[in-house]
Amino acid sequence: MHTKKSTRTIINIILSILGVIWVTPAIFAILNIAKTKQEYNLGSFWVLPEGCHLMENFQSVVDSGLIQSAGASLLYAVTGAVFSVFLAMLAAYGLTHLRVRHKMFWFLFIYSGTVFPFQVYLLPIYKGYTSVGLYNTRLGMILFYTAISIPFSMFVLRNFFLGISREVCESAKIDGATDWQILMNIFLPMAKSPLSIVLLSQFTWVWNDLMFGLTFTKSAEIRPVMTTVSLMAKNNAPALFFGCIIASIPTILLFIFLQDNVEAGLAYTSK
Amino acid sequence: MSKETKQKTKIYWKDYLYIAPAVLFVGIFFISSIFYTLHMSFFSWDGFSDMVFVGLQNYKELFQDSNFIISVINTMIWVVSSLVTTVALPLILAIMITQSSALKIFKNVFYFPTALSATVGGMIILTLLSTYGLPQVFAWFGKEEWVRDWLAIPYLNTFIMILMGIWQGIGLNLLLFISGIKNIDKSPIEAAQIEGAGGLKIYTKVILPLLKPTIIVVLLMALVNSFKVFDSIWVMTKGGPYRTSETLALTMYEESFIYNEFGKGAAVAIVLTVVILIISYFNLRNTFKEG
Repeated sequence: MHTKKSTRTIINIILSILGVIWVTPAIFAILNIAKTKQEYNLGSFWVLPEGCHLMENFQSVVDSGLIQSAGASLLYAVTGAVFSVFLAMLAAYGLTHLRVRHKMFWFLFIYSGTVFPFQVYLLPIYKGYTSVGLYNTRLGMILFYTAISIPFSMFVLRNFFLGISREVCESAKIDGATDWQILMNIFLPMAKSPLSIVLLSQFTWVWNDLMFGLTFTKSAEIRPVMTTVSLMAKNNAPALFFGCIIASIPTILLFIFLQDNVEAGLAYTSK
Repeated sequence: MSKETKQKTKIYWKDYLYIAPAVLFVGIFFISSIFYTLHMSFFSWDGFSDMVFVGLQNYKELFQDSNFIISVINTMIWVVSSLVTTVALPLILAIMITQSSALKIFKNVFYFPTALSATVGGMIILTLLSTYGLPQVFAWFGKEEWVRDWLAIPYLNTFIMILMGIWQGIGLNLLLFISGIKNIDKSPIEAAQIEGAGGLKIYTKVILPLLKPTIIVVLLMALVNSFKVFDSIWVMTKGGPYRTSETLALTMYEESFIYNEFGKGAAVAIVLTVVILIISYFNLRNTFKEG
């Protein structure tokens, strides 16, 4: 498209001004991580720090339990994403290429997990977890995050498997392959890119979850990372910013490494 | 059809094993939860003593509760403004970015806050707008009354949080629109240009109609998501001060887990569910129209 030079200049100026506003909060956060609490509370947040108090602030972050929580979240996000995507793949395969009756009913049954507002699940699962002893346990969190990631992953993978023609399966069957072998040796390699998209999006979703972590945990070593961030002391701004930055490392890394590839998969990342 | 009826005679149990784990997980965690929440909404329960059946009492009480009414109004404010903030604004930005000289830089700048979570974004903005942050600037101009915690100002804080939502949340839709614009078939645009259409007219008459499918998807998604906003509000105001910035998602949580009114919380959840299901119906119809 041809744009007039003057129009383009105006657009560049407007976007640059907005862009500065957009990065200001992040710069504000980074500028203040090395200050002491007292220095920040003088109210001159735009001033460069006088000394380097990174280590003290890091100590406050450690004391808040954030590092422990980041470890816990890493466990939940990796296992939750891997388990759920594996189970979703099995279901998607069954719902597209196997002899399952009422495929549409079962598809909607599994997919309905993403349709309802997640707040509906809080109360019953909280109550169920307390009665079977899964409340505030790692296993409980892993099972829950697996469950909540299944419907969406199944939806994406089913769409992809629908595009694989039946002839592929049939000719493999003539050669004596079982359903399981067809899934593992033919479908799995073909589905590498949708699989990696759902894995990453579910990892990100679990890592960023606040509400379920808030409801299903109470002790520091079980609590996921975003819940711990939300509980950090608000009167110690530099330590809080430090914690925010640490809690964002995985998602920022994904953003940097995947920049160009994300776009294709972006449509899938929201639930 | 005749082929299907023949197949009904034999059921391939082994094939069902593939869908069984997913069905079990969803059934146990979610489908049963929905029925249990519905069941609980007819009871009065504080979490410790016995549950007492109260019929529709929880629902009646809700609609007489001023906190709930405020929560409904706030939810409406969030929903209506989300149409502008998560659809119109990213669309305009996307058009501008595709016309600018530095597509990649601008794209990354505006997407960056989305790479942070709503929790982290909320915490940063909360601190930025508290007494020792940005409000200090107004001390220079002698406006001492502005030097306070802005998110603690009732009713104004909802709008501040919506602004924060723009900053943190438009990234995804922005990228969707940018790739939508890039993938548009160029020939109708060139044809219109040859016929002498310029600037704004090309957008309103040619590009926007071509983008319609993307816009509808984003719109329906934004509508559903605006009912579910929890993290950023929880982090920034916890629905306060005095429950003035609660939305339905927050009210449900507070009634259940702060005030121990589990029955009332369940009733809020059911109200929220009904509203979202109505919107989702259009969303699903739109999703499966193509397939």
